[in-house]
Amino acid sequence: MELLVLLLIPFLSATLLAVVRPTLAARGIALVSSLATLAVALWLWYRYRGEPVMAVDLDWVPAWGLRFVLGYDGTGLLMVILTAVLFPFIIAAGFKQNLKHPSLVNALLLYAQSFMLGVFTAQNAFLFYIFYELSLLPVFFLLLYWGGERRRAITVRFFIYTLLGGLALLFGIAYCVVQEPTHSADFSALAALHLPLDTQIWLFWALFLAFAIKLPIFPFHSWQPDTYTMAPLQGTMVLGGVMLKMGLYGTLKFVFPIVPEGTAHWREWVIWLSLIGAIYAAVIAFRQRDLKRLVAYSSLSHVGLLTAGLFAWNAYGVSGSLYQAFAHAVLVVSLFYIVGAMKDRVGSSEIAAMGGLKLRTPRLAALFLLVVLNAVALPLTQSFVGEWLMFNGLWQLNGWMAFAAVTTIVLGAIYMFYAYQRVMLGPDKWQLEVHDADGGDHLFLVPLIAVTLVLGLYPAPILDLVNGPVQQMLSTFTVLR
Amino acid sequence: MSALILISVLGVVVLYLGLLGNKRLLAPVGILGLIGALVLFYTGYHVEMPLFANMVRFDGFSIAFNSAMIVITVLLFVFGVDYYALMKEHVAEHYALMLFSLTGAFLLTAYTNLLVLFLGIEILSIPLYILAGGKKRSYRSGEASFKYFLLGSFATAFFLMGIALIYGVTASFDLGKVREYAELHAGQHSILFLLGSFFVAVGLSFKVAAAPFHFWGPDVYEGAPTLVTAFMATVVKTAAFAAFYRFVSMTGMPEALSRTLLVMTLVTLFIGNVVALRQSNFKRLMAYSSIAHTGFLLMALLSTSGLTAQMLFYYTFTYALATVGLFIVLTLAKRAANGNENIQIFRGLFRARPWLAIVTMLLLLSLAGIPLTAGFIAKYQVFLLAIQGGFLKTTAFAVVMALIGIYYYVLVIREAFTPAEEGIAIAVTPANWLVISLCGVAVVALGIWPAWLL
Repeated sequence: MELLVLLLIPFLSATLLAVVRPTLAARGIALVSSLATLAVALWLWYRYRGEPVMAVDLDWVPAWGLRFVLGYDGTGLLMVILTAVLFPFIIAAGFKQNLKHPSLVNALLLYAQSFMLGVFTAQNAFLFYIFYELSLLPVFFLLLYWGGERRRAITVRFFIYTLLGGLALLFGIAYCVVQEPTHSADFSALAALHLPLDTQIWLFWALFLAFAIKLPIFPFHSWQPDTYTMAPLQGTMVLGGVMLKMGLYGTLKFVFPIVPEGTAHWREWVIWLSLIGAIYAAVIAFRQRDLKRLVAYSSLSHVGLLTAGLFAWNAYGVSGSLYQAFAHAVLVVSLFYIVGAMKDRVGSSEIAAMGGLKLRTPRLAALFLLVVLNAVALPLTQSFVGEWLMFNGLWQLNGWMAFAAVTTIVLGAIYMFYAYQRVMLGPDKWQLEVHDADGGDHLFLVPLIAVTLVLGLYPAPILDLVNGPVQQMLSTFTVLR
Repeated sequence: MSALILISVLGVVVLYLGLLGNKRLLAPVGILGLIGALVLFYTGYHVEMPLFANMVRFDGFSIAFNSAMIVITVLLFVFGVDYYALMKEHVAEHYALMLFSLTGAFLLTAYTNLLVLFLGIEILSIPLYILAGGKKRSYRSGEASFKYFLLGSFATAFFLMGIALIYGVTASFDLGKVREYAELHAGQHSILFLLGSFFVAVGLSFKVAAAPFHFWGPDVYEGAPTLVTAFMATVVKTAAFAAFYRFVSMTGMPEALSRTLLVMTLVTLFIGNVVALRQSNFKRLMAYSSIAHTGFLLMALLSTSGLTAQMLFYYTFTYALATVGLFIVLTLAKRAANGNENIQIFRGLFRARPWLAIVTMLLLLSLAGIPLTAGFIAKYQVFLLAIQGGFLKTTAFAVVMALIGIYYYVLVIREAFTPAEEGIAIAVTPANWLVISLCGVAVVALGIWPAWLL
């Protein structure tokens, strides 16, 4: 029941906002709604005892054996918590943005939240797919209405690119459902399918393509930098913070259990593609002149590593990847917030328009530095834990992969510090009259940084959460590894 | 039989009402009669019993399709009140012809004899030839009518030839007898039987605008009055597919026919979706979208499983709902834009009429097959059927085509949600508003609870 409440809070408040359209109270209502969702999510966490929970199970289309099943295990719960934790921040970021029609912006954001929570709790492939595609619609309108330059073309490209994967996934689901005798499309039933190897080899791509595009991994990433850069700040946060985790979660929930042998067949390819993408994105990030684009590429680089870790298929790699998913979400939201804050002050996110800002905005510079330290995975930060685990996981698999992974971490440190240097340090060459971080900025960034540091010191809560499902999943693949 | 008679008499009554010169009576009388027919079906008069010397039988299949067509016609008549408001003369004829056409459509869903199939097709088509030329002084309308008539009679000739050949082999027009023959000779049909089935399939493909018999589609859709276009895209297509299904299941789908249909499916999917990309006229876009949907429906027809009939019904009905709504929105936008039909007339719709824009979006999303709309369920079920029937590669191809389809629908959605430089003034009468909203809500409701229709 709580799960239904979890989904309905954002959905109903979004509908309220869309229908009543209050101008002044819109952000406040959205914030309260997202905090309520957070409270429910934390309550679920508190109640969670390590066993998979099937919370809602209703008849849907009896003629096709379809049921409306919601539930979660540790990984699903992690994603729910991640979504619930981030959305208050994403909505709060809107307080400084002053976009037109705030009620509609917030309604779309909350719809996106509701659908993404649906993705993370659906226990039925059909239901998963519906939520997966639905979550795209609010983002589509968010980009189309409030995006930056060239938004019409970029939005449609993003939409079509993502749907390409989506339709491939639908095809894959349809294929599996036909093979499965009860046609119920439940994850548990699909996981019990033992398809022949040659089927699994092509089916892997039908299922994985959607997630490869959503994440995105190299070479399916070409929509990402433009979209992230053009999107309004909150849209970028949704895309980078939460939406991309659907790709990770989907891979874990869909691809691994249904086509284990297909995955085993393609695993090294995917890891190498991800790592190549991670290094490639890191090199490009170094050359960026626009801070927002730089962060977009840095996200691309991190995602490559996340995927490589996931496909390492050992406890270190998978847990590390999931842990890093959380860390990355927090990181992306804080980084994009800082980009937005700089853009507000300087008037552009071009790095050339900044420089020496530390002298004028010392507090903001300090906050930025703390976030950068997390981005470069310094020990004691959350990213360090995740990247260390993934690095270990890859090392167990293949030394060269681990080497490539470390390279991305080193390159990450280089471009992040270089960007920081160009923005904050050096002579105060533009003599801009900018104000320092105010109460709002602190209220936004300090909790996020605190989360990073606390979980960096004490990662056990999250690792315990995912450990059970990960071990259980891996135990079924021991033969294949 | 009673419903059949009611509708044909209703057509005559409406025709005479036109003589009274009271335009306002026409639509209400028509709608009342249609609802009467619906009631007759559901009270069970002449249901499940052979009629006209065992040539027609209203079974569950036919009643489902007939009810769907009646509902769609009612929606179109409600729209007609506003659509024909400015027309001075011959309004009654329009309603009456549509009712006559509907009579033919009833026969098409219920025939148990190939002759009735032919009769049904002709009763369906002849009023349409006139309706397509409904705008007497419009050059385009005249062209549409002439083109449709010429190509239509061509297709009819093929069709008759096909029936004759089948008769020549089986010595019967009766579906039951032909089916017995087909089952007896399964796998080793004589070439005449195959040729006969092929010709009949050609005639029916013409009616559903399947490639390569689709050339009339875009021109006729564009030229005919919008209401008639909507009627052709919905009721006619539904009836033709019902007839197609009955015919195909009668032949037992010999290998040669199956292969022909497969090729037609592929070509139709390709032409419908790819050519639609280059359309900027919304009516032509809808014509190609209609061809594309024909492709998906043909794909469902290919896999003759027990669920195909159910699926065709769900698909055609939800497609019709979305199409009717969109054609009404088009008419309204076209009026505001002084007769322009380019998709850019939708620009600024959201600013001017938010609810209308949202419904338009829902209808387009349903045609595109995005989740939570009925169109998604329909497409998904078609894919399931096709995979079940072993058409794996065809399904993969259809998936790619569906993606292209999404692209051009999204372009229209993008227009509707892009602010216009100058505001557009779209006037919506309450009746139209009701029909559009009904279509939008129905498309979503049937997408969430498909069980209602199954």
